[in-house]
Amino acid sequence: MTVRQLIEETGWNCLAGSDRLDTEIVDAYCGDLLSWVMGKGQPDQAWITVQVHMNVIAVAVLREFSCVIIAENANLPEDVIAKAEEEGIPLLESGIPVYASAKKLVELGI
Amino acid sequence: MFYDFHMHSCLSPCAENEMTPNNICNMALIKGLDIIAVTDHNSTRQLRSISKAAAETGIKMLYGAELESSEEVHVLGLFPSLEKAEALQPWIDERMPGIPNRPDFFGDQLLLDENDEPVGKEDRLLLVSLSASLSECVDAIHSFGGRAILAHVLDRANSVTQQLGFIPMDLPYDGLEIKSPDQMQRIIKTHPWIRPDSTHWFIDSDAHRLVDISEPENIITHDEIKELWGDVL
Repeated sequence: MTVRQLIEETGWNCLAGSDRLDTEIVDAYCGDLLSWVMGKGQPDQAWITVQVHMNVIAVAVLREFSCVIIAENANLPEDVIAKAEEEGIPLLESGIPVYASAKKLVELGI
Repeated sequence: MFYDFHMHSCLSPCAENEMTPNNICNMALIKGLDIIAVTDHNSTRQLRSISKAAAETGIKMLYGAELESSEEVHVLGLFPSLEKAEALQPWIDERMPGIPNRPDFFGDQLLLDENDEPVGKEDRLLLVSLSASLSECVDAIHSFGGRAILAHVLDRANSVTQQLGFIPMDLPYDGLEIKSPDQMQRIIKTHPWIRPDSTHWFIDSDAHRLVDISEPENIITHDEIKELWGDVL
């Protein structure tokens, strides 16, 4: 499934990286400790988190995640959104908790 | 000067009740320290009585608090005067989640006077994250006239590297706290933009018990204190 298809299926808000929506999602990863995510994340995963620090974008670039999904409307700063746009990282907002977001991905076959 | 700029009084939920104003100052004196800072979690409310106890013993003080940001990163705010540190308290209060303390689990969060007599306790749990990002905490510390030291930067819990993966390049902190000199090498290796010579490094105890307060091993020069906090000596 591509990021574009995920957005179409869920209606989740896309805040940045709209020119990279054809990226394939092969798996997902949940976590808010960035040191942990840096060590364990794998390329082409969708990453679900409530962490909204600027370093999130750096970690997403480093791990080559297909997109970042911010759960529960965690109040993303504008400069983080701008950085995601600059780096071409699709940045989504699910508006629901991490577990509910993950369940949605499972329902969609990820 | 021998220093220890990170320790907790009995106001902090995780600290022992033996960490009273007079016990802390006298233990620091016995250990041979010249200047200390007590940095309770998200509170400056014990500082006034500690400053009186410090004046009695003749030990020098900076006035601090250990803030926890919304990313759950710990950062020390160290101020040159009691008044400046206390001025931060309303800013903290506005950003506290207001979760009640459970003394049986977390400890009593005792407020003592300068004679170590109980005068109250903090009812809100202090071991919480404020609704302010790390950069907002650093900005607030600066705006109230303090210096921001990233606490125990390589720790497994509540450190900037654990929570945020690495030390953000553009964060305007004033110093980095490590546990041993070799940690400095680890940080420089993983953060090529951090210049060791132009960074203020601190080795503190983070004591929660009297016995853990630093031995006279870590030195700060008068010039470095003056550069960071002005004429406090």
